[in-house]
Amino acid sequence: MEVYIDYQSAKPVDPRVIEEMTPYFYYKFGNPSSLHETGDEATAILENCRQTIASFINAKKEEIIFTSGATESNNLAIIGYALRNKGKGNHILISEIEHISIHNIAKYLSKIGFNISKIPVNPYGSVNLKKIKERMTDKTILVSIGYANNEIGTIQQISEIGRLCKENNIAFHSDAVAAEGLVPIDVKKDNIDLLTLSSNDIYGPKGLGILYTRKGIRINPLIIGGGQERGLRSGSENIPGIVGMAKAVEIMQVEMNEEVKRLKVYRDRLIDNILGNIPKSHLNGHPTNRLSNNAHFRFEGIEGESLLLSLKDKGISVSTGSACTSKTLEPSHTLIALGLLHEEAHGSLELTSGRFTKKEDIDLVLEVLPQVVERLRKLSPLYK
Amino acid sequence: MKSTRYSEKVLDHFRNPRNVGTLKGEDVGTGRVGNPVCGDLMELYIKVKNNKIKDVKFRTFGCGSAIATASMVTELAKGKSIDEAIKITRKDVADELDGLPPIKMHCSNLAADALKDAIKNYKDKQKLKVEVKEEIREHKEEITGEKKFLNRGVYNIVKDFSLFKDKRTLVLDRGDKSIEIAIELTKHTPRVVFVTPLKDISANTNLKTELKQSDVKILYESKILEIKGLNEVEKVLIYDLNEDEKYELYIDSVVLLL
Repeated sequence: MEVYIDYQSAKPVDPRVIEEMTPYFYYKFGNPSSLHETGDEATAILENCRQTIASFINAKKEEIIFTSGATESNNLAIIGYALRNKGKGNHILISEIEHISIHNIAKYLSKIGFNISKIPVNPYGSVNLKKIKERMTDKTILVSIGYANNEIGTIQQISEIGRLCKENNIAFHSDAVAAEGLVPIDVKKDNIDLLTLSSNDIYGPKGLGILYTRKGIRINPLIIGGGQERGLRSGSENIPGIVGMAKAVEIMQVEMNEEVKRLKVYRDRLIDNILGNIPKSHLNGHPTNRLSNNAHFRFEGIEGESLLLSLKDKGISVSTGSACTSKTLEPSHTLIALGLLHEEAHGSLELTSGRFTKKEDIDLVLEVLPQVVERLRKLSPLYK
Repeated sequence: MKSTRYSEKVLDHFRNPRNVGTLKGEDVGTGRVGNPVCGDLMELYIKVKNNKIKDVKFRTFGCGSAIATASMVTELAKGKSIDEAIKITRKDVADELDGLPPIKMHCSNLAADALKDAIKNYKDKQKLKVEVKEEIREHKEEITGEKKFLNRGVYNIVKDFSLFKDKRTLVLDRGDKSIEIAIELTKHTPRVVFVTPLKDISANTNLKTELKQSDVKILYESKILEIKGLNEVEKVLIYDLNEDEKYELYIDSVVLLL
């Protein structure tokens, strides 16, 4: 059996979620827009699920829009807000270490008349509050900062950023995909106006996400059609997916505390052992203010893809920030923004545990990794 | 095609690379090629006797295909005359490995180039035997942005090390004092980069060893071209003399001793 320590890339759907979803494919197939009884039942289910998911982030039911996933939610939040509010200004702030979808959305907006500023981070990947403030102008309409970083796991000071935006009358969007299920999220307390969540990242089905839009925040729809989701996201609702995400939320609400405790033990064991036993190894990201499932390293003198291949040979699946595994052949923009050189970014290893990770999986990684690193270093002209 | 979907032959050479190591001597040619964007760097050594390649060794920093192609080219070159060996192409190497994923063809298939480079180096060595000229450490060259950011990230003097707490700090090689400062800074910040135009550290043995064993990241054969930022230092533009390439590095402070 393969050992999977790459929960940040994709998560399995919890079997309890699958069980909950199954009837909705055949027995309960109704369309909430239909006026007959099957349709009414679907409407009731849809609104129950909406309430469950809203309560997970301390939002109101009316503030939740169902989408096809986090990428769509990010598009709807940023492009939808920018287009609706362009009369107020055309300046948008994001950080240097946002998810690739946010970077590419920003690139698109910069081609149609918006100005984008990128806020630098400190060596641990924390977004610098002072630098957000420095870059705010009277044209700034939106700030988008991820709740926690998807690669290096650094958790941002979200409520402080939210407060700063509120004081300056600027809307605040946060992509919380990396953080959901690991950090309690409260949109009211954190002063968040727009929030992206994905279903799969809390062990729900893929192909579903939500965008939270605070009451009073106006956005334009990007998908036009039959007017579902208050006209902000047309298209027949994905009822089985929505039921699945709601179930995933229910499980998370009961199990999150215990799960986070367990993952922290794994994470700290990985960090302490690897930094202690492998010379010239470094932790990427914040030493303490990091996601409980994330251990991210770099090893001098070796390249990530060969590390990944070697671990695969030993039955371990992981991720790396190396260019050699990316489509663009560029190293991770997040690692470069930390101040790393290309060759350092190439030597990174991301270990993310999750709900089904076992103690033995961590043991195996700790046993195998030092040998693998040593072998590759012997081949390397960069390690002396 | 996924980058890690390799042929069995590639995986075999990756798992059991042939001819790993280095060679030294008058009759040895050295090739060094690399692509920093893709993250591959290859060193190839050939030992030549009577115009024949008697021995080949390599070392590679890079992905699976970079390691496998280097290993394969050593097998292809061994025993061949240098005139035959110089004809080995990238395609030959890829074909011998039963193909490479398309995305890897241009980027990680450097082994044939490294071999050509090594042969050229061997021939040059036989012809010329000239000493490589030592570059001189450049002092007090004006850097764009130095004045603008003075005391807002750029420091000509370091008195209070606590100022550098958790700051990504770059120290330019300006002699022993700058090396001592770089080492001391590692107690205050996780990230210290030392930039020198030289190929190796020029200092007494103790200081040199101490620097190399420390957490200081050393950038050899590099220069600072420009310091950038909004109100404070945020990035520097580095020029890699060896690769003839410019790139940006995210940094919070720069120490330029007078």
